[in-house]
Amino acid sequence: MKFIQLVGKYGYLIYKTFAKPDSWRMFFRQYIREMEKQGIGSLAITIIISIFIGSAITMQMVLNTDSPLLPKYVTGLTTRETILLEFSSTILCLILAGKVGSNIASEIGTMRITEQIDAMDIMGVNSANYLILPRITAFVTVVPFLVMFSMFFGILGGYLVASMTGIIAVDDYVYGIQYTFKPFYIVYSLVKSVIFAYIISSVSAFYGYYVKGGALEVGKASTDAVVKSSILVLLFNVILTDLLLM
Amino acid sequence: MIEVQNISKSFNGVEVLHNISAVFESGKTNLIIGQSGSGKTVLMKSIIALHRVDSGQILYDGRNVPDMRRKELKKLRREIGMLFQGSALFDSLTVGENVMYPLEMFSGKEKDEIIERAKFCLERVELTRAFDLYPSEISGGMQKRAAIARAIALNPKYLFCDEPNSGLDPKTSLVIDQLISEITREFNITTIVNTHDMNSVMEIGENIVFIYKGNKAWQGSKEQIYDADCQELNDFVFASDLFKKVKAVCK
Repeated sequence: MKFIQLVGKYGYLIYKTFAKPDSWRMFFRQYIREMEKQGIGSLAITIIISIFIGSAITMQMVLNTDSPLLPKYVTGLTTRETILLEFSSTILCLILAGKVGSNIASEIGTMRITEQIDAMDIMGVNSANYLILPRITAFVTVVPFLVMFSMFFGILGGYLVASMTGIIAVDDYVYGIQYTFKPFYIVYSLVKSVIFAYIISSVSAFYGYYVKGGALEVGKASTDAVVKSSILVLLFNVILTDLLLM
Repeated sequence: MIEVQNISKSFNGVEVLHNISAVFESGKTNLIIGQSGSGKTVLMKSIIALHRVDSGQILYDGRNVPDMRRKELKKLRREIGMLFQGSALFDSLTVGENVMYPLEMFSGKEKDEIIERAKFCLERVELTRAFDLYPSEISGGMQKRAAIARAIALNPKYLFCDEPNSGLDPKTSLVIDQLISEITREFNITTIVNTHDMNSVMEIGENIVFIYKGNKAWQGSKEQIYDADCQELNDFVFASDLFKKVKAVCK
């Protein structure tokens, strides 16, 4: 029963959110601000994590595929598939759920407990639309770009390991990452990332918007936002893999 | 003018407001006073339609709020300015942007006109120099004044102030009270102030509604308060020695 109530409350908030903005000028201003904050603000962490994870995956693959029965290019191939299919979309989005999701929930939650949302409602502003729509649309817009950056830098991380440590020949690695390449895997990854971005931003906004109480509750809402959106990302990862790849 | 007629409101079966009727006149500072937990905040939130009342009518110059559709309510809310207890300024915007916010949302004016109007409102509350400062960079009293400037930006017909003096020193409280009173007269606004600060009551209370345990126990002006035949009101107003002495001197 509680679960149905929660889904209904979420549905009503989304209905209010996806209304025509009271002022398009204000909407676009917020949209640009959010893209800058969520996109540019997450770029450094995306690049750093991707390079290091790409490097680690390559090293793991070298260690675990060290067999005369397996061709040398397998390392590059498996590194590419791991990064393209799972890391750059799912794992990156889980990391962003922690960074962006908690930020959205705590920002909106603080606005709620300090009556800033009430102030908007009394002015006749659709507060859900003003606060949540730019955040969702901005995050859905920037995440595919972050995913593409992550793919590039993840594979580059493996390349750096190959060229700097010599545990695998650079030519074998480059051959591996090109071997039987399926462009659809990139499309699959981007589609997943768009859906994950929607889940993270909307679920986090939901937990922030309905906060009641004080600072303690804002902290709890922020944690709930990260936990619940991460679980939903993992659930939808399985569903989308089944729908798009199987 | 705002008129409430026989309004009642319950939460989870507990009646918080019982059959309250009152008239809040335009161009006057109307006060809702009462002890903490008496129901005055619920009454104010019901009048603004943040709470839906169980029964009764809330008439804004003849327009009944409980009968309004969402669009009508939205339109009405653009005629309302509100000063919150904690100011509720948007902390991501500067003071100037805060005042410009309702204008950018609803006025449809050009940027230059909006800036001009925002500067006028800030000048009215003597806060022009804070235009580019963020709310966190100014004092509590200045935040209240900035919130008043934002509340009057769209030329509201109705102004609501929820505990405008909470957290302020007596001198700053007086400045805020006088500002509310002046603005009310200057723009002929129907102002409703929710307070339990007796200094405010004696300073600006032109029409006072006393709420006791969810009922309207008394209504009158600050001059009538000394002779009020209402024990609950006397207990509330003359709880402090200072006001007992003031009463004695007045008599």
